[in-house]
Amino acid sequence: MRPVPLAVGEARPLLAVIFALHLAALAGYVAAWGFLARAFRSGGGLQESVGWWTAVGAVLVHTLGLAWFVARYRTFPLVGLGPASSSLALAIALLTLGAAVRQERRPTALFVLPVVVVLTGLAVLVGLQPVLLQSTFRGPWFVLHVATVFVGCAGLILASAAAAMYVLQFRALKRKRFGSVFRFFPSLDVLDRLNRLGLLVGFPGLTVGLIAGWSWTLTYGRGLALGDPQVAFGVVTWLAYLVAIGVRMSPDWRGERAAFVSTGAFVVSVLTFLVLRVVIVGPESVFL
Amino acid sequence: MGLTIVGVNHRTAPIDLRERFYLSPEEIPAALDSLLDEEAVEECALLSTCNRTECYLWSAPAAPGEDAAARLLAERAGLEASRVGRYLYRWRDAEAVLHLFRVAGGLDSMVVGEPQIQGQVEEAYRTAREGRPGAVGHVLHRLFQSALSAGGRVRSQTAVGEGAASVPAAAVQLVLKVFGSLEGRRALVIGAGEMGEAILHGLLDRGVGEAVVTSRTLERSRETAARLGEDRVRAAPYLDVPEELRSVDVVLTSTSAPHPVVTTEALESARGGDRRDLVIVDIALPRDVEPAVGDLPGVFLYNIDDLQAVVQATEEARQAEGREAEVLLREDADVFVSWLMARQAVPLIREIRRSAEETRVEAMEEALEGIEGLSEAERERILGASRLLVHRLLHAPTVALRALAGEPGGADHLEIARRLFALDGPAGNGAKIDEGTDEDDDERG
Repeated sequence: MRPVPLAVGEARPLLAVIFALHLAALAGYVAAWGFLARAFRSGGGLQESVGWWTAVGAVLVHTLGLAWFVARYRTFPLVGLGPASSSLALAIALLTLGAAVRQERRPTALFVLPVVVVLTGLAVLVGLQPVLLQSTFRGPWFVLHVATVFVGCAGLILASAAAAMYVLQFRALKRKRFGSVFRFFPSLDVLDRLNRLGLLVGFPGLTVGLIAGWSWTLTYGRGLALGDPQVAFGVVTWLAYLVAIGVRMSPDWRGERAAFVSTGAFVVSVLTFLVLRVVIVGPESVFL
Repeated sequence: MGLTIVGVNHRTAPIDLRERFYLSPEEIPAALDSLLDEEAVEECALLSTCNRTECYLWSAPAAPGEDAAARLLAERAGLEASRVGRYLYRWRDAEAVLHLFRVAGGLDSMVVGEPQIQGQVEEAYRTAREGRPGAVGHVLHRLFQSALSAGGRVRSQTAVGEGAASVPAAAVQLVLKVFGSLEGRRALVIGAGEMGEAILHGLLDRGVGEAVVTSRTLERSRETAARLGEDRVRAAPYLDVPEELRSVDVVLTSTSAPHPVVTTEALESARGGDRRDLVIVDIALPRDVEPAVGDLPGVFLYNIDDLQAVVQATEEARQAEGREAEVLLREDADVFVSWLMARQAVPLIREIRRSAEETRVEAMEEALEGIEGLSEAERERILGASRLLVHRLLHAPTVALRALAGEPGGADHLEIARRLFALDGPAGNGAKIDEGTDEDDDERG
């Protein structure tokens, strides 16, 4: 049951607008990351604020691009590599901006924005053509499934970024290296809280997404479909983060160890995706 | 122009001499009086801190008044005028402007980017303005406002003021890098000392919920706690240290004990396998804390060398940022210098207008004498039209003159204008520049 490209007569000019907005958002994300990287080198200052507000601007443009998509094609950009990558990128960016409204948390964007750039760049590269879903894919269950999985992924990426930064800051403090990491990265406590927030948003999101997905497959008599690469990816990621949450809750495994496990969960998730996407499914698949 | 700065700072004089130049806020009005007694000096202000004493003078360009400032400083330091020169620096016009901007921005400070100087410059301006009415006129008012604004700009747009630039600040920064917020945290101070108290002050300012002070005797601990004058600080017997170690988040040690007072064994025993974060700042020599304590899980141990390393890293980062800050300050200083140069056109513009008005009155009197039967209203209408004509004719040259005066070679441009309008004497020289008014500024538009 693979979605097929939607044939829409007025697609070309509409796509040009959506493409232009995505390109502008991509440029904004890249510029924002550049400013933050400069701030990282100098220890903060105006570059950090400029980077932050550039990212806010890019998110607004990105939102406009996807809103245009929804308004014109009357379908959510949840299926197809391009639209889905773009939606996931926006979910990650929105969650990061929302979580880091407090200035002390803003440096986290330095680690999250590259993921957003890759996903938005992928969307621009493969195109943002709408994809027509077969009737069995349509409906609220499907939207709930994909949307919550995206929220879950966004939370888990935020958690992983905070965890990776925690490990680096922890080492800088333990090894007494008072360079850029020490100056620019937030405190261990702030990073720990961000990691927890990411997990609290991401894990329930992924859980609901998996349940919604299974409810849908059961409705259509496909069982749990554990052999489906998408389901396998979801389950592996969910298990990896279950371990991360378990470690966080253990008093003996808090701090650096918990951060390591959170980062590891992200690596496991990415590797699983790459293996399934490239090796098993093949590059022509719409599986994100 | 006629802006001059004469002063002494940490680069030109050692501290024992700088102390002799220092003027307290109460002494500054009298010093300003003595400077204003000089005929050449039109405006003046004085900045005196532990690192610098500087006189800011605005005077007629031909007689900059810097000798008066040098005499004042020599008298203040009790030095002969001939000897004081080796310690003094003098900046004039554009260089003087840039110097004050660098001072306000913290780039001329001993610790680059230190924030106090901004307030000290503001205080110098206020003392001159309020302590000696008339000392600050249009030029120094705008100079100080521009310098303060430029100082604020570099602090907000660069990281020149970021980081810890002193040992106590470095200790506080390290603690904050672990805990983020210190609200509700507990600190234990073992041993009393000036540096330890300074660090504890910093921690209390950042919201530490409770601090326990212990030293050799309970009496001494109580004295220290009382000196800190905070309800959140209490004294405890030295024997309570193992008990306190169980629950504190921060430990400061600064005893003069010849052996470690916090050992790995003691700390492990006190924490009982707890992996909660604990920051220990050991500023004692010899060290109070065994180095192996830093290897314990959750424990971050720093000694005085580590704090110095933080300060050093901050200084290096600030030096690098200082280059960017310098560019911003130069931009702002150039804007001020352009404004100052444009002011040189004011006397000439007034002269041109006066001359034009005389010509108008003369011409209109001649013209109206030959016309009979004009009512008073008609006469007034004609005169009004002549005034409007002159005003409109001079508007464009006035605007152009102000702009030209602010450009390089402004004095030459004014001289050409003076000749074009057939006015006597060289432009700008000898003519006292008026203080300027809002009206002048409006005219620029």
